[in-house]
Amino acid sequence: MNKLLKQALFREFKKNETKLHELNYLFWECTTRCNLNCRHCGSDCSKDSQYKDMPLDHFLKALDTINNSSDNFTVVITGGEPLLRKDIELCGREIRKRGMRWSLVSNGYLYDEQKHISLLNAGLGALTLSLDGLTDSHNWLRNNDNSFKRVDKAIGLAVSTSRLNFDVVTCVNNRNFYELEEVRKYLIQKGVKAWRLFTIVPIGRAKVDAEMFLTDSRFKKLMDFINESRKRNEIDIKFSCEGYVGKYEFKVRDSGFFCRAGINIGSILIDGSISACPNIDRTFAQGNIYKDNFFNIWQTKYILFRDRSWTKTGQCADCKQYKDCQGNGFHYWHSQKKNVLVCHHQKIKYE
Amino acid sequence: MKKDWKRKIVGWLCLSSIAFVFQACYGTPQDFGNDLLIEGLVKSKKTGFPIKGIKVSVGDKMQYTLTDENGQFSFYTARMNNTQIYIEDIDSTENSLFINKDTLITIKDSIFNTKLPKVYLNIELEPK
Repeated sequence: MNKLLKQALFREFKKNETKLHELNYLFWECTTRCNLNCRHCGSDCSKDSQYKDMPLDHFLKALDTINNSSDNFTVVITGGEPLLRKDIELCGREIRKRGMRWSLVSNGYLYDEQKHISLLNAGLGALTLSLDGLTDSHNWLRNNDNSFKRVDKAIGLAVSTSRLNFDVVTCVNNRNFYELEEVRKYLIQKGVKAWRLFTIVPIGRAKVDAEMFLTDSRFKKLMDFINESRKRNEIDIKFSCEGYVGKYEFKVRDSGFFCRAGINIGSILIDGSISACPNIDRTFAQGNIYKDNFFNIWQTKYILFRDRSWTKTGQCADCKQYKDCQGNGFHYWHSQKKNVLVCHHQKIKYE
Repeated sequence: MKKDWKRKIVGWLCLSSIAFVFQACYGTPQDFGNDLLIEGLVKSKKTGFPIKGIKVSVGDKMQYTLTDENGQFSFYTARMNNTQIYIEDIDSTENSLFINKDTLITIKDSIFNTKLPKVYLNIELEPK
């Protein structure tokens, strides 16, 4: 189909989805404790979090405000490292018992065979594990010498179960950039079916480390790598939904760019804040489960998320791609709303 | 309903079904919910008492659980019309000795059409 027609239809689709704003995907930041100390962490998570884990019953009380959840509604349990919670299986069972699905984002360090079985027993349906390169570059980014060995084992377990909809994510940085081809081969050899690539957001610990951020030239090469790899059909590789990539749209992902934060994606954060993706500036929170009805907030607030016209400012003000990009990923905006933090399109345009 | 049709038509025209399958930047792929909840009770055929510590597994036996003190078990597994269940006494003489059993359960399509498909099994084990 003609690309222009496809883009026009996709714009209509996004408009309609925004109008409907069906909640399909709910992040639960159940802990901000973490067993690793990753160099790129956007949450500044640590072993000693200032927050206690959110008690399960507090989360369930908010979850139970959702009446008639959509058929594909999923609770995505995230952190911190969610496997540090001793009651993680109970959390999953309580969600599944309500007819809702649940999934987990993990660094894989604690994902051993026993944990794999107990999570499956509790109804785990999807899993994402982080792998940031081969041994040295992964361990470097994760700040732990055993990290690769552990996640390698976790990946082996995850691929052994067809029940799990599983993928691997990689944060591309200057250390692992030249080994992406090797990582691709490794994943294929392990039997991994899906691989998602990110770049690192300049927030949290990452913002002061230049080694994290790709030059425009490398970013474009990354797009070419994904585009070429997709043509080979050996693994379902894609660029994450983090930003609009101009001429690479519909080439590096299954669909065009659509930031669904606050449109289909909500979150309950560690302090009870009600927001969208957990990496979004926390001043954009729409309410708090400790004083608001979660679903009522979902249905009636989120105006800034569903009407992004306020993002037509700074470098976005005169951009010809705005109608397809609409200010890039929401997590690239700070509360001052003056300018977008990163423009992926610009990275490609001037290269 | 009208909105839903518009949604589906535009979605399918521009992208096919992938328009409705997405994952957030730092989230997981979507779960399609292709699972089945298997619950049940294991008891002694001779005494009628529930048996604790019996291993209940499925398929290649990698996924398993143990019965609790009330002989109850519960786990989710991949959705299939025919599922082989293995029941094994693995704790030797602790709860006396029972003969292992395996059984093939066949699930009707009508069960899979519910939001949370589940089956309940009553299992009796013969003492050795």
